[in-house]
Amino acid sequence: MSVDTSTGDTSGSSPWAVMRPVQGQIRFAMGLAGLGTILGLAALGCLAWVIERLIAAPGEWPWLAMAGVLVGTVGAYLLRIHAFDQSHYAAFRLEQVLRGRLADHLARLSLGEVQRLGAGSLAKVIQDDVKELHVFVADSTPLYARTYVGPAVTLVALLWLDWRLALAAVAVLLLGFAAMTLAMRDRAELTRRYHAARERVSSAVVEFVQAMPVVRTFDSGTTTFGRFQQALADYLGFLTRWYREASLSGRLGMALLNPMPTLAVLLWLGVWLTWHDALTFSTWLAVLLIGTGMAEAMMPLMSLYHLVDKAKLSIARIDEVLGLPVLPQVAPERARRPADASVVFEGVSFRYGSDRDGGGEGGEAITDLSFTAAPGSVMALVGSSGAGKTTVARLIPRFWDVTAGRVLIGGVDVREMRAEDLMGQVSFVFQDTFLFADSIAENIRLGVPEAGREAVEAAARAAQAHDFITALPQGYDTRAGERGIFLSGGQRQRITIARAILQDRPILVLDEATAFADPENELALVTALSRLMRGRTVILVAHRLATIRDADQILVLERGRLVEQGHHDALLARDGRYAALWRSYEGAQHWALQRDATPTRVTADVPPRCEEATP
Amino acid sequence: MTSDTLTSTPVSRRRLTPWQETYRQLLRSAGPRARELRVALLGLIAAAALQGLALACLLPLFSALLPVPDWPAVLAWLAVMTALMGLATLARWRAQGFDFDGHMAVATHALRTRLGEQLRRMPLERLQDRRTGEVNATLLGNVDENLNYAMTVLNLILTAVVTPFVAALATLAVDWRMGLILLLIFPAIIPLYRWRRPVFAGTMRGLAVAHQRTSGDILEYTQGLPVLRAARCAGERAERLQASFAHLREVQTRAQRTGSRPKVIIASVVELGLLLIVAVGVTWVIAGTLDVAVLAALLVMIVRFAEPLANFVNYTAILELIETALERIEALLAIEPLPQQTPPAVPARFDIRFAGVTFQYAGTERPVLRELDAELPARRMTALVGPSGSGKTTLTRLLMRHADPQRGAVTIGGIDVRAIPPETLNGLISVVFQDVYLFDDTVLANIRMARPEASDAEVEAAAHAAQCLEFIERLPRRWQTRLGDIGGRLSGGERQRISIARALLKDAPIVVLDEPTAALDTESERAVQRAIDALVRDKTVIVIAHRLSTIAGADRILVIEDGRLVEQGHHGELLVVGGRYRAMWDAQQRAKDWYLGLAGEPGNGKQSARSFSAT
Repeated sequence: MSVDTSTGDTSGSSPWAVMRPVQGQIRFAMGLAGLGTILGLAALGCLAWVIERLIAAPGEWPWLAMAGVLVGTVGAYLLRIHAFDQSHYAAFRLEQVLRGRLADHLARLSLGEVQRLGAGSLAKVIQDDVKELHVFVADSTPLYARTYVGPAVTLVALLWLDWRLALAAVAVLLLGFAAMTLAMRDRAELTRRYHAARERVSSAVVEFVQAMPVVRTFDSGTTTFGRFQQALADYLGFLTRWYREASLSGRLGMALLNPMPTLAVLLWLGVWLTWHDALTFSTWLAVLLIGTGMAEAMMPLMSLYHLVDKAKLSIARIDEVLGLPVLPQVAPERARRPADASVVFEGVSFRYGSDRDGGGEGGEAITDLSFTAAPGSVMALVGSSGAGKTTVARLIPRFWDVTAGRVLIGGVDVREMRAEDLMGQVSFVFQDTFLFADSIAENIRLGVPEAGREAVEAAARAAQAHDFITALPQGYDTRAGERGIFLSGGQRQRITIARAILQDRPILVLDEATAFADPENELALVTALSRLMRGRTVILVAHRLATIRDADQILVLERGRLVEQGHHDALLARDGRYAALWRSYEGAQHWALQRDATPTRVTADVPPRCEEATP
Repeated sequence: MTSDTLTSTPVSRRRLTPWQETYRQLLRSAGPRARELRVALLGLIAAAALQGLALACLLPLFSALLPVPDWPAVLAWLAVMTALMGLATLARWRAQGFDFDGHMAVATHALRTRLGEQLRRMPLERLQDRRTGEVNATLLGNVDENLNYAMTVLNLILTAVVTPFVAALATLAVDWRMGLILLLIFPAIIPLYRWRRPVFAGTMRGLAVAHQRTSGDILEYTQGLPVLRAARCAGERAERLQASFAHLREVQTRAQRTGSRPKVIIASVVELGLLLIVAVGVTWVIAGTLDVAVLAALLVMIVRFAEPLANFVNYTAILELIETALERIEALLAIEPLPQQTPPAVPARFDIRFAGVTFQYAGTERPVLRELDAELPARRMTALVGPSGSGKTTLTRLLMRHADPQRGAVTIGGIDVRAIPPETLNGLISVVFQDVYLFDDTVLANIRMARPEASDAEVEAAAHAAQCLEFIERLPRRWQTRLGDIGGRLSGGERQRISIARALLKDAPIVVLDEPTAALDTESERAVQRAIDALVRDKTVIVIAHRLSTIAGADRILVIEDGRLVEQGHHGELLVVGGRYRAMWDAQQRAKDWYLGLAGEPGNGKQSARSFSAT
């Protein structure tokens, strides 16, 4: 893949660089378009020749001239169509190449980076921005050829026919362009402000639409609608001013670049020259046929500017993604394989990229963290939100690289392992369950394509998923995400657990769910998890402390630092941070809503006797 | 103005809007500037017609020049032609004032405002349906994107159609045969195009479907990247994705082959017309029935028509985008607000009753609520429990009148919610959602929006009761801190507490709690719980909570399953009944007792040797 070559020359480079993968075909298309334009002009010349013959030799068929018209017209027409076809095919190929390249590049970035950028906006780049290029690549390239070749050849032909008429035609055009340039002055700055104003409108709209339930219950609508209105009014003000300022020059430019003024000037001048016997009718006719089109041929240039501008924005976004540094990979010959399933952090510090508020005071999400998780042991990470638990978990499968220190798996620094080997060691189950729009069997089989149906079913059984899967209309062949198939969060999670069971990797990184859909799902889920954890090294990000009472080791994190470490009982006895978390957790677990607002403890084993409600 | 706009033509275009209808819609969309729009359109038509007449002047002009110039006639016709061109320019100049004088900007502004108001009025359920929600947001944001082109495109289309038509009519007067040929060839493009259009639309639909598929696959890829990487199926090995890219290119290529056919046909009409007129013209000239001057003039005229006509299809594609935008606008504006019963009534008590309520979301196959009867006593707490998707949240939505049930009624204090004026109804209910929406405004404004007339002391009291004071004091500009500026610095719990302060300030007699603590970590949860305790005091409370211990103290528990009320009573009663509630309670208790006891599995009653008793 030549990603690196295409990343070096992005900033400020011409938008044409994006076409490099299909350059040859585009050039071919442009060549055809240029040739077609020349043939078209030749056909027009032949039309004048037909008339010239008819005048010079009345009653005689001007066969040669007519053949010229025929060949020129048909040739120009075929070349034009062929040019457009070629540029379109090239554009389609380019889309495929770029999308493939982008997808491949994403596969080699750090996952943290992918997450930071957001799946949605990355998908937008791959889909929409690449699609945006179409107009530029497919439609504008032949037009470019025409807009440059057309006027140039026309000018040469006109000069050859009659230099006076040629100069007159050029003069009109120059006036038109001068006016247009005037209309377009400060365009970059205005365009920027225009986009800024639009941006404000969009965010006001999004807020207005998204927040509508809140708006209706809490706001008589005035505040939010006011903000919406304000953004609209600003936009209107800007737009009106822009139009007003460009009004005279813009309209003048459009009026002059219309073929009509050129036609008028050529007619008057032609009549005057004919009067003075300085012009033959057929030359004049040829000029009229060829010359008036000059303005028309250049008109597309105006809209092309606009199109290329739009494409530039997309190209910049594509280049930005392709320019993201890939996660450095160890050279294959220096790659090492882990010796066992232990996980060790050695003085690990980690800081998120500068463009992101990492949470911690000094911007450091993890500070000097060391621990050892023995093979087959269960280690739990606890702490309040923002303490760095999830970050620790995600450093293990190398979502990011540490800023300082080392993360070792089986005694090998994760940076010295091939991505393949690392992924072969670690499976992770995160809160955001992800199922592909494929059959449930394929979803479970992901990454283990050779697994047979029995293996898949066994994994599903262990994950407590077999029963609900077989109850689905097509069982294991039911497509996840199909219309009418509703899988609850807990069920989806159990499918991802089955996937992890089937993958059977020695190390499991588990980010426990904070919320469950309903009690029965919860029970099935915890059962599934306990099956999954069996016999593996487990690094568990725990939110419900009850699940970790039994962990071999509990790490209590606070603002990225390790503050306590040990077993549940020992930590409780210490009466420190963990004990406080535990008490708070217990309190939350037993919170019972009561209208009289005296928090009541509802114990687990004894159903409370509910007093008759007192008003 | 190229064919890319075609590819983005939405899938939903199945029928042709008559042009008169489009015209009417366009005028309606211009709202306060409809008159100016009509004048501008008339101006454009006049300009195009005048231009046609001007071109037709070439016929007598050339006739006066050949074979021997009749100078007074030449000058006279030249003067007439120039005058007509001047008038055309003038008419167009005035018409373009619709854009340049800001009428278009004002019209789209008014339209957006109207759409915004409609969003406030329409049933929330329609708005919240995610797909329409997005469409509406886009519509509101981009309404002018399409409409702004209206004048430009109409100008181009009218020039392409009206000018040749008028010129052809004028030609009839000079040579009826040639006039007839012109009339047959050029305006024939319109019926030809209308005839081809459905085929055209079909291809576009195919393309749109392929784009949708790729788009979905890309999103799936970027979202599932961590999973794919873990399964070692990313990048070039993402077969589905690569297949989808290849498929898209195939469809695009096919569409280019078949879809561009209408364009080819229409373009060839122009070329063929030219060749036909040359052939017929030369024949007649040689036969002596046609003046060579007339033929020369015709050629100049036709060459003028060729370019705009060749681009006709491209322009109409943009017109189609405008049509679609207009249709969507009309469809959105046509959504009626929920009907109000008369006479309006205001409840005096706040008990809630669902009587035989059946409700089905639009576009779904089965009702979410079926003949549901339930009574929620005033100033008591009622809990809704049941599996996800059972209809709990829908009940609260019907209470807030996001939609009306298809059968049955919802009453507050014996009064049908349909008879309560919307502002009054909104004033009766406070909601605390799981997802908090805070506005990009100050902390103070975010709380005060619930009751704009509240004094500072009242706002502070609400914030105090909602446990907000402590963290508000820590914010950089305290009460004046803009929430947009500090972005993610507030934790989920803190954001939730602000939303509770809002609800407290509103002091509505009915409080709805929809899983308010589900997404919070333990410590935040405690603070939020205390805030909620303050909120529910003395209110009619409806609570949805997954953790059953939370709602065990409720005065009444409604167990909902599959849209029906299956059990009701208080905690103790329901446990004794031993039905669904009992099953859920037991499952939850078992899940709770589960922890990483590798020897024990939840549900089998065995407890880990290292178990720790919580109570």
